[in-house]
Amino acid sequence: MKLSLAWLGDYVDLPDDGREVADRLTAAGLAVEEIVDYDGDTLFDVDVTTNRPDCMNHLGLAREVAVLLDQPLRRPSTEPVSVHRGPGQPVEVVIEDREGCPRYVALGVRGVKVGPSPAWLVRRLESVGVRPINNIVDVTNYVLWETGQPLHAFDRKTLRGGKIIVRSGGAGETLVTLDGERRELDVETLVIADADRAIALAGIMGGAATEVTDATVDVLIESAHFDRSRVRRGARRLGLSTDASHRFERGSDPLGCLEAAVRAARLMVELAGGEVVAPAVDECHTDSMGLGRPAELDLERLNRFAGAQIPPADVERWLEGLGFEPERVGGILGVKIPSWRHFDFEPDESGRVEPADLYEEAMRIYGFERIASTLPALGEPDSGSSASYKLRQRVRSLLAAAGLSEAISFSFHAAADSRRWPALASQGKPLALANPISQQYAEMRRSLLTGLVETARYNQRRGADRIRFFELGSVFPGGQAEEVERVALVAGGGSGMPWDREPEFDLFDLKGVVEALAAAFGLALAARPAALSGLIAETSCELFAGGELVGHLGQIDDPALPYPLFAAELRTDLFQAAPAVVQVELPSRHPAIAMDLTLTHSVETSWREISEAVSAEGASDLSEFRLKDRYQGEGVPEGAVNTTIHFLYRAEDRSLTQEEVNRGHGVLSERLRSRFERPVNA
Amino acid sequence: MADPPPDEIAEHLTLFEREASEVADRAAWDGLRVRWIGRKRGLVRSLLARLKDVPPQERRDYGQAVNRLKETVEARLAEVDRELASQERGAARQAAAVDVTLPGRRPSLGTIHPVNRVIHEVVEIFIGLGCSVAEGPEVESDYYNFEALNFPPNHPARDTQDTLFLEDGRLLRTHTSPVQIRTMLERKPPIRVICPGRVYRHDNDLRHSPMFHQIECLAVAEGITFGDLKGTLEAFIQRLFSAETGVRLRPSHFPFTEPSAEVDITCPFCGGDGCRVCSRSGWMEILGAGMVDPRVLRGVGIDPAVYSGFAFGLGIDRVAMIRYGIPNIRMLFENDQRLLRQVTG
Repeated sequence: MKLSLAWLGDYVDLPDDGREVADRLTAAGLAVEEIVDYDGDTLFDVDVTTNRPDCMNHLGLAREVAVLLDQPLRRPSTEPVSVHRGPGQPVEVVIEDREGCPRYVALGVRGVKVGPSPAWLVRRLESVGVRPINNIVDVTNYVLWETGQPLHAFDRKTLRGGKIIVRSGGAGETLVTLDGERRELDVETLVIADADRAIALAGIMGGAATEVTDATVDVLIESAHFDRSRVRRGARRLGLSTDASHRFERGSDPLGCLEAAVRAARLMVELAGGEVVAPAVDECHTDSMGLGRPAELDLERLNRFAGAQIPPADVERWLEGLGFEPERVGGILGVKIPSWRHFDFEPDESGRVEPADLYEEAMRIYGFERIASTLPALGEPDSGSSASYKLRQRVRSLLAAAGLSEAISFSFHAAADSRRWPALASQGKPLALANPISQQYAEMRRSLLTGLVETARYNQRRGADRIRFFELGSVFPGGQAEEVERVALVAGGGSGMPWDREPEFDLFDLKGVVEALAAAFGLALAARPAALSGLIAETSCELFAGGELVGHLGQIDDPALPYPLFAAELRTDLFQAAPAVVQVELPSRHPAIAMDLTLTHSVETSWREISEAVSAEGASDLSEFRLKDRYQGEGVPEGAVNTTIHFLYRAEDRSLTQEEVNRGHGVLSERLRSRFERPVNA
Repeated sequence: MADPPPDEIAEHLTLFEREASEVADRAAWDGLRVRWIGRKRGLVRSLLARLKDVPPQERRDYGQAVNRLKETVEARLAEVDRELASQERGAARQAAAVDVTLPGRRPSLGTIHPVNRVIHEVVEIFIGLGCSVAEGPEVESDYYNFEALNFPPNHPARDTQDTLFLEDGRLLRTHTSPVQIRTMLERKPPIRVICPGRVYRHDNDLRHSPMFHQIECLAVAEGITFGDLKGTLEAFIQRLFSAETGVRLRPSHFPFTEPSAEVDITCPFCGGDGCRVCSRSGWMEILGAGMVDPRVLRGVGIDPAVYSGFAFGLGIDRVAMIRYGIPNIRMLFENDQRLLRQVTG
């Protein structure tokens, strides 16, 4: 919001350097974001927070400046210059909706001559970004920018039936506003009406039919207080925001109406001639608003809250300047909340003003920068647990160490994506957004793979010869199910350069990372073949831990990919933190004897069957066995595969001899051969 | 049988010397050794075997001569063995020679996303300051996201243009502050938590992403002061950026804190002198802070007359952008590996 330094100077003496004023205002919560030279004047671009509508004008900001610089505030004169005391106001004001409009002041000025405003007024309005129109309308805008009270001027002769009625809009009722738009009204919208029709949107914009024109002779000034949320709802519904609605929405000064109307009338007579019709009509029902609420500021508590020693006399002087009318009794300052700050001091249920709201006043004028920095005097660390965070961080470290880079994708996807990837839990109705950014982001994701596979494709399109990604985040199964955390992996490709000795990534590279990850968190995975959406059925499987489905993996089913990609997704809720005590198995002091066995068997026979058979044999002194290699090709019959198993024999208590190992291994080999080495087509 | 001529030993010695000088490899050396000192048919052995045929008066001299021959042969063989071994080591070294300027094969390490990297840094700082980590759901109710945080029913932040709502009436949290409410409802003071997480706004343009990350700190206990807020902020910011970083608090307004402050730091790019990044101001607005509003405390059953607290929230994405020189928030979520893989260490 742009405000003029010269204009501020009407109400308070300013130092030569505007920057000093700007710095003090910024330090007191009225951030001057930019200082602009404007035709000999200086403009402050002030970021006024929503709770300070009283500073969205020059007089209000000058009040702050006066306190900050310890200078007196000069208020503009509101004494009318020429008063007509005839038969009184030519209108009757009826407020039907007192909640929507607690106060309505109507003040006439008759016999004006509408014309252009003088240069000084035009200049001031233009400096704050207001377009000059004519001397009457310009005065209403000037007073708004001076005092913060939005005003409206009607051409009195256009009002029908001598009445101003504040009421709700009727169904089907319309109004052409000053901007020429025909507006549909409804009961939610508060309107100003005459005896026949709506003539203005209360607190938002006047109507075209009653606007002041060059032909206007008699003017009726409206200076009212409208309810904040009522104006807000109306403005939002109509998609309108004006200088008036901006202020009413944030809360105008309910006690400032009359003064502003008189100020405007005085200026109109000065600039356009004519005379004020006195006294004003003042329909005032602000008693129930609880204005001027009393409150107490405990100076000792203030200092304890701030962690500072703020001199009581200073606090008293600042609050006086800000309009709180403080009275000091011992260590307590009794204050009254100024009507222009009414909405910034919302009381608790018992009607008591929050002490912190008053502490803030003292602290912001004192200056946050003067409060000494300390650390909380708390001996013990917090009693909460950071275990789940640490577990997640460990997942990240492990996967990064395994060569994968972490991606972060948006948590939403298109409706069509909701069943693209396999489910890991029962899924309800997808969580759809009521106001999505776009249809591409219509629902909450149910799988991390949607985003991660798109990330992989994005990188492939940009020429990546290898993809290594993981993501850790929440998915939203939908229905009544709560969001759950998953980890997903997508990888494929390789550098393809012999020097790198890096074979092209395949399904078992991925499975190995997944198994290592699960093992790090105490889970042993068993893979069961399963046809899963989005994955090539011949490659895909579900992963179980202790009988529970915890994940799946497979090759992504997309012939358009430049090289195969492999994907996995895992639940992390069963991941266990490492136990506090882990007992290691001490390495044997006796040497092991290694033996190999190659079985030529049907491709239909799974490694799982073979490995279970080896385990079931319970060969003596067999300490471990591993898959050494698989081979298909020359020398191996069609439909068969060579599986070479590496066995390690070791005894705990002695060194084995080759002869005894040969005997045992021979028996084991025979049994495995006779079980698995059947002729393929027999 | 004739007596062995006394000079036969000398001839053997000469013969051996000649043969030894011709040894070129390990096989030849082996042959030489077997021929001369082999246990079964070695020449030395057969010379000794003839000792019984030598006349008794010559035996002593003969035996000594053969023994000298044996010693000489053994010593010479050992010498040749050393020469051979040295040659062999040299050959092995030759075979191992490489061009050490060829590139090493680096283990292909992955990376943690810049945003999570910064989150972790911040969390570690606060764990060091005695905080624990608290987390909460991303899908929230109006109560936790707004009502309990003292957002009036008609507050602009509740408008549909800012909040992403679900069709079932819930919403995507617009900040991590609901975690503060959940923590205060679960536990009694003293509380010191750090709450990282994803948040959402109905914003999608070059400078805004509908999803981003925040981290909030909440401390509630008896006697917490505004000075404690300042001190904690300074300790945190100076650890995250540098010990020289200046911190400035400007009064501001948030529904859930009173008083509230915008926190600026001296621009990390120019150190406060003013540059393009900070619009020549020397300052960069980085987080929002304040003393927990008494209405918020009362709402979760904590008596503001006894307890006080502070809270502050930081946009992580922005810090990551500053830290890694990423000009556009949207680049953080494009996940281009060429960018992500640079963020290591």
